[in-house]
Amino acid sequence: MIDPFLLEGLIKILFVFVLISAALIISTRNLSSVLTTYTIQSFLLALVSFLLYLMDEKGQLLLLAGLTLASKVILIPYFISRIEEKIKIGRDLHFTYLEPTTSLLLSIGLILLSYVFLSRIFEDLSLSKLFFFGAVIGVSLTLMGMLVVFSRRKVITKVLGYLSMENGVLMFGLFVTEIPFIIEVLIIIDLVILVMLTTILAVGMDSSIEEYRQKFRKLQIWTGGRYL
Amino acid sequence: MIRYYLLIMGIFLALGLIPKSHRLMNSLAAGNALLHLFLTCAALLILDLPARYGDYLYLDHLNLYVELITALGFSAAAFYAKGYTDSLMEAGDLDPKNLKTFYLAFNLLLITATVALFSDNLALFWIFVELTTVCAAMLVAILSARENIDAALKYAFIVSGSMLFAFLGLIFLFTLSELTLGEGTLSWTELAANASHFSPPLLLASFTFVFIGFGAKAGIAPFHTWLPDAYARAPSVSAILSGLMQNLGIYGIIRMYALLKESDAASQASLILIVAGVFSIALASFSMLQQRNLKKLIAFSSVEHMGLLLIGIGIGTPLALFWVLFYMLGHVLIKEILLFSAGILHRQYRSNMREDMKDVFKLQPRAAWVLILGSIAIVGMPPFPLFPAKFFILLESAAVSPYLTLALLLMLILASASFANFLLKAFSRVTPEEEKEEHGSKSRVSERTESEKFTEKIGYKKSILPAPYTVRKGMRIPAIFLLALALALGLYFPEPLRTLLDSIILELGYL
Repeated sequence: MIDPFLLEGLIKILFVFVLISAALIISTRNLSSVLTTYTIQSFLLALVSFLLYLMDEKGQLLLLAGLTLASKVILIPYFISRIEEKIKIGRDLHFTYLEPTTSLLLSIGLILLSYVFLSRIFEDLSLSKLFFFGAVIGVSLTLMGMLVVFSRRKVITKVLGYLSMENGVLMFGLFVTEIPFIIEVLIIIDLVILVMLTTILAVGMDSSIEEYRQKFRKLQIWTGGRYL
Repeated sequence: MIRYYLLIMGIFLALGLIPKSHRLMNSLAAGNALLHLFLTCAALLILDLPARYGDYLYLDHLNLYVELITALGFSAAAFYAKGYTDSLMEAGDLDPKNLKTFYLAFNLLLITATVALFSDNLALFWIFVELTTVCAAMLVAILSARENIDAALKYAFIVSGSMLFAFLGLIFLFTLSELTLGEGTLSWTELAANASHFSPPLLLASFTFVFIGFGAKAGIAPFHTWLPDAYARAPSVSAILSGLMQNLGIYGIIRMYALLKESDAASQASLILIVAGVFSIALASFSMLQQRNLKKLIAFSSVEHMGLLLIGIGIGTPLALFWVLFYMLGHVLIKEILLFSAGILHRQYRSNMREDMKDVFKLQPRAAWVLILGSIAIVGMPPFPLFPAKFFILLESAAVSPYLTLALLLMLILASASFANFLLKAFSRVTPEEEKEEHGSKSRVSERTESEKFTEKIGYKKSILPAPYTVRKGMRIPAIFLLALALALGLYFPEPLRTLLDSIILELGYL
């Protein structure tokens, strides 16, 4: 049996890393580093649920850790990296609405906001300090992911932002309550389908592949040339 | 029972992959929609409602009613789809290879929507609503043109991003039930039975989050931005189907509101709904005023109607809810009529823009008339069903505040004015040579000597005037049928419908 205080300390350290990874996703311009950061973030999440399993000894948490590891650390990143190779774009340089610095400042505000909001709501709920922080980090991660979806231009980065939002929801769920396992599985299936669809579409949007250009040329409505 | 349904539908989808001919694929899709329509009617007539089967399947009047609307919309769309996709393929816009994907997504959308509606569990509802977004995005992207893909991605990102917030709300709700009942649950029925014991602030927080998600699905401002793009870029059929999915969002909101209606949070939730509704209507009606794109005009009118539905739900009286439910039906009927004729006009002019439409009455007289009648219906003119619905919702809104009614009325007038503005400007464009040509042909008869000159001129003019698009068989039938149905509903309120709506209100605990 491992000392629960040690575990709690470890989880708190992981929280900090999760926040750092979210900030990196907001600001990094290199596409493959964004993907790596996302993979690390999902791995941290799997680790957190594993540590929680060590604390609580609930089999469900272990399953969840395994599921996260399989889907979000291995399957989805693999799929996205294949797509990234295909579309041959290394960097996502352009930001809409917000530059990275502003979004980082904004995300600090969002973290504070979710802290205040949740502390008011959770007054009647008897959550321990650790679990409360977990919930706060979860909500902030969701909001920071939303910033990524808004501010990034390339679809692939938007997908990663969406995925990091989903990580936030999972984190929140992990610390606030236990959702029935079947639902977790279904959500992951849903996520995989959604990611596949959007990334396949992203090939059409982001790529400079010749065949897509030709396809666009064939169309009559958008009489050629304007978007090429 | 749910297993049998999924099994049958699985076999059905597998069957749908086999045929090569378009006719067969289309009749399978139409058959599927009609089957759903028939089963829903049968369930409404035979079953003793509300009925529960197993852990997850739940049938009551509300979800059967929404399913009825959905299946009706799908059936009409399936009949229209044949001719429409044929002409899309002929024009080279739709790759024939994608036709199978189109029908696959069509059937999948209907199935996922059905499963979502009939699941008793909120989380399952959430997941299947997400899947409907995926299918609908596929339908929008089916033309695989850059702008379509762009619209589809926007749709998927905005809706599923907001739906993640809804999931946060569900987690709140789950925690709440765990707190009160000892064991967490997300089943509608159990939540509805115990919601009055939940702590109001938490309930309100969860309602707000869930509202963001379902509101985005329904196309409520400020989460409506996917809607105009999806409507304008997608083929008409896809637009109709994604429009039908808006009802799922409204369905979720009705259920959620019914949950917290008994608690202290009800007044604040009503406020949220009414403010969001007013904002949607205001934004939509001002965007409509100078709208030159027909499908965007229809899309913004959708946002406006969803806003009015929200206000109706927010008022919270049984009467308002009754008319909200009726409104959902009428809105779907009329919105489909509009999109059907807009689709025909788009095939004619290859554009949705007002300035590209010329000689509408000469080229597509029936589509033009249907569009005019549809516009009259959508703004809520008397012989059509939206009139009583709007009238009573506005009347009930006066109980909240007379200023609200006044503001709504003004904005609705603005929306009507924008429809009138559009129609007048689009339909009054007549090629001026046209008159001369007629004049010329008359004079040609009288003065044979000048005939050569005129034939030359006529030949030139004829090349200016585009050939009328031949509307394919079956494309007009659904529009006419829905128009007749809407007119009938407007003139005569059937007794079975009234009892159905009454029992929905009773089941939601309003009376």
